Amino acid sequence: MRTVGKRSFFLYVLIFAFCAGMIFLSCRVFLNAGEWASMPFNAHLYDENDRLRRGSVYDRNGTLLYSDADGYAAASKEALLHLLGDREGNLSTGVFSLYAAELSGYNPLTGNAREGNLFHTKTELTVSAEASARAYELLGGRSGAVFVYNYETGEVLCSVSTPSFDPDHVPETIETDEAYRGAYLDKTISESFTPGSIFKIVTAACAIENLPDWESWRCKCSGTLPIGDDCVTCLGAHGEIGIRDGLKYSCNVVFAELARELGKEKLRKTAEALGFGRSFVFETAHTARSVFDVSNAKEIDLGWAGVGQYSDRTTPYHMALLMGVIAGGGKSAQPYFVRKIALSPGVALYTGAEEDAPLNLSPQTAGALRGMLRENVSDYYGDALFPDLQAGAKTGTAEVGEGKEDTAWIIGFLQNPKTPYAFAVVIEEGGSGYRAAGSVASEVLAVLCAE
Amino acid sequence: MIELYSIGKEAACLNSSFILSFFMRGRFTALMLLVHLLAVALLIHVIVRCFVSLRRGRRIQEAVIYLSKEPGDEKIPVLYWENSIGREKTCDILLSEPGVSRDHAVLKRREGGWIIADTNSRAGTFVNEQKIETQTPIRPGDRIRIGEAQLVLTARDEPSQTAPQRKVYRGGRTIFTLLETTAVFFLLTLEACFQNQSFRLSPFLPFLLLSTLVWGVYLYSIVLLKRINFEIETVGLLLTGIGVLLLFGVDPQTAYVQLAAAALGILLFCAILWILEKPDFVSKLRIGFEVLGVALFAATFVFGTVVNGAKNWIFLGSLSIQPSELVKIIFIFAGASTLDRLQTHGNLIEFIAFAAVCTGFLFLMHDFGSAVIFFFTFLLIAFMRSGSVRTVVLAVAAAALGVFLILQFKPYVAQRFAGWGHVWEYPYDSLGYQQTRTLTYIASGGLFGSGLGNGYLKNIFAGDSDLVFGVLCEELGLVFALAVCSVFDLLALYTLSDVTRSRSTIYSISSCAAAGLLLFQAMVNIFGVTDLLPLTGVTLPFISAGGSSMVCVWGLIAFIKASDERTYGARRRRDL
Ligand SMILES: [Zn+2]
Repeated sequence: MRTVGKRSFFLYVLIFAFCAGMIFLSCRVFLNAGEWASMPFNAHLYDENDRLRRGSVYDRNGTLLYSDADGYAAASKEALLHLLGDREGNLSTGVFSLYAAELSGYNPLTGNAREGNLFHTKTELTVSAEASARAYELLGGRSGAVFVYNYETGEVLCSVSTPSFDPDHVPETIETDEAYRGAYLDKTISESFTPGSIFKIVTAACAIENLPDWESWRCKCSGTLPIGDDCVTCLGAHGEIGIRDGLKYSCNVVFAELARELGKEKLRKTAEALGFGRSFVFETAHTARSVFDVSNAKEIDLGWAGVGQYSDRTTPYHMALLMGVIAGGGKSAQPYFVRKIALSPGVALYTGAEEDAPLNLSPQTAGALRGMLRENVSDYYGDALFPDLQAGAKTGTAEVGEGKEDTAWIIGFLQNPKTPYAFAVVIEEGGSGYRAAGSVASEVLAVLCAE
Repeated sequence: MIELYSIGKEAACLNSSFILSFFMRGRFTALMLLVHLLAVALLIHVIVRCFVSLRRGRRIQEAVIYLSKEPGDEKIPVLYWENSIGREKTCDILLSEPGVSRDHAVLKRREGGWIIADTNSRAGTFVNEQKIETQTPIRPGDRIRIGEAQLVLTARDEPSQTAPQRKVYRGGRTIFTLLETTAVFFLLTLEACFQNQSFRLSPFLPFLLLSTLVWGVYLYSIVLLKRINFEIETVGLLLTGIGVLLLFGVDPQTAYVQLAAAALGILLFCAILWILEKPDFVSKLRIGFEVLGVALFAATFVFGTVVNGAKNWIFLGSLSIQPSELVKIIFIFAGASTLDRLQTHGNLIEFIAFAAVCTGFLFLMHDFGSAVIFFFTFLLIAFMRSGSVRTVVLAVAAAALGVFLILQFKPYVAQRFAGWGHVWEYPYDSLGYQQTRTLTYIASGGLFGSGLGNGYLKNIFAGDSDLVFGVLCEELGLVFALAVCSVFDLLALYTLSDVTRSRSTIYSISSCAAAGLLLFQAMVNIFGVTDLLPLTGVTLPFISAGGSSMVCVWGLIAFIKASDERTYGARRRRDL
């Protein structure tokens, strides 16, 4: 009898395996439940009319943007389409996709099956519907993006991507019409553009960190910088010129020369510290990577890479973040646009929180760059562009070749303590950065600062 | 590093006022949730009570009788109902005198008293200097010679000094546990009545039928048979009832079939208990069981119908039977054995052949889930009988070779399991369709579920059978489902703790095999639909829809019930 008893230990192994399996399963359910519960085939996500349950969505001022009953608000439906998401779920970076589980009322305690049909959620975004609508209007059918956020809190105030479309009447030609190319992308985060002159800020940051005598550094601009058989061209002949004025007048020779002098390795290190070569997490979506790759560059390529041409690429989100970090003295909050998702007043399913952005910039370098960018506006572009806002900015007019017009950029920040905003505006085939992008930025910020 | 930033944000923010405000929203939802929480609490209480009662009801392991060695006054305590006597260290009664064989004899207790049986010893066993040929009854005072050892059977003359006179534990207040069980059913019925925020009375019909069944079994067992233990039945009825009420939300017809099958299963339960009362008789029926098992499989193979890729169904008119479920019972009957039989007919070859035929048939029928369960049960029984690691290793090697050959010649079999471990890559084809739906609805159900009848997983193919664990989680919540599943673990744990206290190794082996089979089957089912194991399509005992399965499960728990020493004790006392 005893022997038979001892031989039954076999069963202990099974009992243990069952317990271990159940614990493992419970952990797996606990860790992944949110993602699993938001699968589109989950019938608990839909209301009795087979529409996804998303509750209602409001902007920072309490303006209704979307509700299950009324659909999209007419005034902002194209402007905020990319932040919200379309009905079909093609826009994967909007709040409808990123927080599908929470919007359906999901929480780890009661899931989203029990009170699913009884309650809906209320979502508050940090963006301004009015400013976004204005930005959409100002982009005027051109392809581009406007991104503004508060670098002290991380709240995104405006994030607009064009071309957009009416989610209630999706154009039939959306797949074929050239005018709608990229309509399913949120260009603030998902498309990278040639930066052009705005990249000079990165080259300047590298110089400030690596050249002890950067203040007195000088070179001579005669309109071209011959390198080998080729040459880097400048818009003008700026004569003898330093880094500070080079940034102000956007002298290509200064930054091409600096790039050669600093070398690939130092430039690469600075670019990486400032977020090139990697993807950011915006809410839970991943941004397109910014590119600075000079590993196979010839000397002339290195020169062009230093002024934001060659293979350089960046996103409006990343450039706004860089401005935020410079304005914030080396630190900025990480942008987010979902302030709160609540089941009913007081029951938060999700709350956006402040976090630091993952860029490494020393306070000294940030301070120097902040001063230089501020001078750009006060001494060169003129404060009329951003009246009384103590703005710092840099424009860019990036050549894209292929017979296309230049990409227009403006990126910058406001030092006004009431409106600590950083911004980036890009317009494809927009031409001059100052004229095309500058005017859009100016008007959108005027709307935001008046709020 | 950058991902770390996102994790903090992703985690849903549950502030402290969550629970409070939860109850303020919608009185109806709050009320239904309260009803559900009460049901969960009662369920857990019933389960705990049953298993505490089972453990308390065990005999204290002390000497039942003594063997006095002569000359001298050494008293060897006899601890078990069946004791092996011999030179081997593993023997229950160890004798090192010359002439004692390794496994010399077996001393066992039966209804009529003590019996000694020689187990093919070289020198023979003598009772009062008479060499015994067959099983010989002995009484206190009889002299037994085993080799050169002289033993006298000595009754325990005074009440044990170590333990005070012990009353047989009366199984707690069975009637209260059963009232609680009925209350669990009532609360679940109430939940089912409010399906989709509308009220209906129809769930009370299965509730009434269930209650009748529960109390009928109680009256039969406690009042009529005067048994004192009712824990196994309570647990079985509890799970059966939960299954029936769950299935009522899927399809009332299925629930009634399930209920009828449960009644049939309880009849089988009683029949098996009746057969098992005479362990030596059961041992003799072995060949008959084996022939019946093979015949059932052969009949299925010839007359069977293919359902969902597996040819393991026989249709008799409108009645469909899955014979492989019934063979599970036969399989355990064929495998279990009394101790003296184990020692005289220790050879496993016959059982191995029977197991190989069963598993082979199941493979040919493409019922891989059942094949694996049979194979596992075979390992369990084979090891408990022989203790031979070599047999187990050889069997596993043979099975591995078999599986390898099948995969070589029938690669489409492997294709069925290609989604295992990464079902989320195949949410829209057969490789991951059922598993992804199950996981999604488990997640949707949260800890407390959608409420009975409000789920959607039941609409997916095999929702009421293979995926029923998912339905259980979705509609009744993860806490409830875990409590239900803990029963399988607790049954096995109880069986183990009681394994040497049973009246014969036939009970020890069969109860371990039955508990192991139930637990293993639950594992294959639950971990199969949740993608921890490949999905093979076996049922979840007690809960899944399936008449044959329900009947079989009740048959299986009869073995566990039989191993409880008290099962046959009460009746004996009545006779005295
Ligand atoms: Zn120049």
